[in-house]
Amino acid sequence: MLSKSQAKTFFVGGTVVFSAAFLALTYDSMQQIPALTHDDKITPAVERGKMIWEDNNCMGCHTLFGEGAYYAPELTKVVERRGKPWLKLFLKDPQKMFPGERKMVQYGFNEAQIDDVIAFLEWCGNVDLQGFPAKPPLAGKVQNVVSSGGATGKPQPELFRTICVACHAVGGAGGTVGPPLDDVRNRKSRADMMAWIANPQSIKPGTPMPKIDMSEAQLNEIVDFLLSLSGSVPAAVAPAQPQPTFE
Amino acid sequence: MKYQSQKIAYWFFAAAMVLFSLQIVYGFIMGFARIGYDVLHDWIPFNTARAVHTNLLVVWLLCGFMGAAYYIIPEEVERDLEWPKLAWLQYFSLLIDGVIAVGCYHFNIWEGRKFLEIPRPLDYLVVVNVLMFIANIGVTMWKGKRSTTTSMVLFMGLLFAALLYLPGMVQVRNQTVDSFYRWWVVHLWVEGVWELIMGGMLCYLLIKLTGVDREVVEKWLYLIVGLTFLSGILGTGHHYYYIGTPRYWLIVGGVFSALEPLAFLGMAIYALAMAKRGERKHPNRIALTWSLGCAVMSFVGAGFLGMAHTLPQVNMYTHGTLVTAMHGHLAFWGAYAMIVLAMIAYALPLMTGRKLWDTPLASWAFWTSNIGMLGMTGALAVAGITQVNLERRMGLDFMLVQKEIQVHFIGMLLAAALFTVGIGMFIVMFFRHGLPNDEALGTDVAGDLVAVGK
Ligand code: HEC
Ligand code: HEC
Ligand code: HEM
Ligand code: HEM
Ligand SMILES: [Fe+2]
Repeated sequence: MLSKSQAKTFFVGGTVVFSAAFLALTYDSMQQIPALTHDDKITPAVERGKMIWEDNNCMGCHTLFGEGAYYAPELTKVVERRGKPWLKLFLKDPQKMFPGERKMVQYGFNEAQIDDVIAFLEWCGNVDLQGFPAKPPLAGKVQNVVSSGGATGKPQPELFRTICVACHAVGGAGGTVGPPLDDVRNRKSRADMMAWIANPQSIKPGTPMPKIDMSEAQLNEIVDFLLSLSGSVPAAVAPAQPQPTFE
Repeated sequence: MKYQSQKIAYWFFAAAMVLFSLQIVYGFIMGFARIGYDVLHDWIPFNTARAVHTNLLVVWLLCGFMGAAYYIIPEEVERDLEWPKLAWLQYFSLLIDGVIAVGCYHFNIWEGRKFLEIPRPLDYLVVVNVLMFIANIGVTMWKGKRSTTTSMVLFMGLLFAALLYLPGMVQVRNQTVDSFYRWWVVHLWVEGVWELIMGGMLCYLLIKLTGVDREVVEKWLYLIVGLTFLSGILGTGHHYYYIGTPRYWLIVGGVFSALEPLAFLGMAIYALAMAKRGERKHPNRIALTWSLGCAVMSFVGAGFLGMAHTLPQVNMYTHGTLVTAMHGHLAFWGAYAMIVLAMIAYALPLMTGRKLWDTPLASWAFWTSNIGMLGMTGALAVAGITQVNLERRMGLDFMLVQKEIQVHFIGMLLAAALFTVGIGMFIVMFFRHGLPNDEALGTDVAGDLVAVGK
């Protein structure tokens, strides 16, 4: 059987060999990381964004690259997922977007800080993470029970797809903060809609719906879209979120 | 207890008990936030509670390790501590540092990196503090009458832990590089050098409690910590799968981290075998129960539950979900919290001269806390697996899934309440022992020699 000094040799030898291997791989990784992470794209804005990220310990609620806390959404791909206009609106007043939901801290960032945070998150989103986060492999096998009752209208305008669906459902897909909009043309005229969307606060002070900056053309496009919706809310939509079933 | 200067250990242990209680309070704050009662949000938002929870954990464990070292080293090398006054200075500066850091978290002041939240200026204080500790222990060993493997392994663990803290302090502009070196602290601590500390403490306890020949115990200690480094160093790769590092880490990390459970399995088998083999029946049964419990639970929490998500194919979906939190709880509990509690259960009667080891309360504390912790782990496992399936595999929205799994946190809080009762009993036992005193000097007072039959 092994003697104590042989056991000691095993310990010391193993430690030396594997530490050396680890240091060699570390050296090699440091050579490759700049290309994998687009180090050259780290602008001063990205650096400032990283500082804001650390100074506020955003990692204490969120994960980034899958690291951090499990209380709030993973943010690696958030710019791709939500789009910059939505993020700007959200970061200005995080609790307003989802009233009554799990709370984020109200940081009261100014425009410049918000731009920095978004620049940082955008840089993170472009790092080569070897496929993380993976595309949900079962997503295709899950279908919505609710039929796309309202999806018969025009294609969703960009602004609608990135901002409004966070709170409103159309065809059974979307948020639940505001009412589903499939049948909104039965309730509101074109003029009402224009006025409401342009400035909800002036019509109903204190409403959770924020004023969203948009051009005249964008406003018209959105209202055209809303008027084109078929006009009936899918029956199963009451709980508003699609219920998955399995094939 | 043989030496006057060993008494300082008591104060480290007492501080550990206080900080541990506070850690649990902040755990409950997060638990309640997760079931919708985020009532303290304006004063203690989740990220504050989390930083306090995990930092207090690390600090009380370090207090436990330091107390253990101040107790074990003089006894192993057969002389008093070199600078008892320095140990006191180190004690107070550590606590002050900790209190300032925790205070800062309540005012949004931190470094903002998971587990390394301590504001940077305080990092330097930590370094000075640890230097004082290492110097004191090191010189005591250097001047000691004998040198033992147990004390060497313990010392090396503490020294490497101090050195590895340094890479965690560098500030870089690239988030991937930032993460890369953060793991040198977090991973190489818990899956590397802390295992040396744990191994050294376990070895000491087994020698004292089972009476198995030191040569045999220490030979196994070398093999096990050898296995730890063999797998654990390159095993760091299991944190380098998906953070912007080269692809070969998927293979290196996958293979070597899959070997890591062997070290924990070895530790469990070795502890159980030694206990069976030992001819000595030390009257302090509860200390042996904690020691064996530690060996077994560390295998379950770190080895088995670590293995469950360490392969890259699995980790792709579990990375950064509650599955990680499940593993984190049982691993920290089994490996490090339990070894500190085992050490306390062993040393306290010897320092105070009160043999409270055979009371029902002592065994209730052990069983209640362990069953509670297993319940918490189970609840987190169900929540974590559900999250992985709904969010990561079916693609449902994060917040929607969080609502679905909220109910499991009620279960977790119930189990946590049970756990807290167990820890409460342990702490009551702790303070019932009274203070360390001179009557307890000389091992026979409290039974160590009686046990040997001398
Ligand atoms: C106290 C916990 C907490 C902290 C701290 C926090 N957040 Fe959040 N954050 C949340 C929660 C909860 C949500 C989800 C809100 C919802 O969907 O109802 C969220 C959502 C977000 C979103 C939108 C994500 C999405 O996919 O919808 C972004 C972007 C974001 N946070 C950025 C940040 C940044 C940047 C910081 C740091 C400056 C930060 N958060 C700090 C809790 C937190
Ligand atoms: C932060 C969440 C939020 C966002 C983002 C949001 N809304 Fe709303 N919206 C609401 C709420 C809540 C109401 C209900 C208003 C009330 O009664 O106070 C509402 C009401 C409406 C109504 C009236 C519905 C009815 O049944 O009368 C329309 C139309 C509307 N929103 C359109 C939009 C459009 C278009 C966008 C995007 C440009 C948008 N909303 C973005 C929350 C939101
Ligand atoms: C006592 C020893 C251990 C402790 C205290 C421990 C603790 C932890 C903690 C706290 C985390 C979360 C870290 C973070 O995200 O910052 C973690 C992550 C992880 N641990 Fe352990 N661990 C131990 C041993 C092991 C072992 C032996 C394995 C593998 C066999 C393992 C596998 C993992 C993996 C794969 C992750 C990453 C999870 C993710 O991707 O989110 N752990 N561990
Ligand atoms: C008894 C009551 C406890 C409760 C209610 C509790 C609750 C929690 C919660 C809610 C989190 C945050 C998870 C998230 O990010 O969403 C957490 C994190 C953590 N807790 Fe606890 N906890 C308790 C006790 C403990 C104990 C005793 C230990 C150690 C032995 C511990 C170790 C940890 C660790 C290591 C983390 C970080 C996990 C990770 O990042 O993966 N907790 N705890
Ligand atoms: Fe690890």
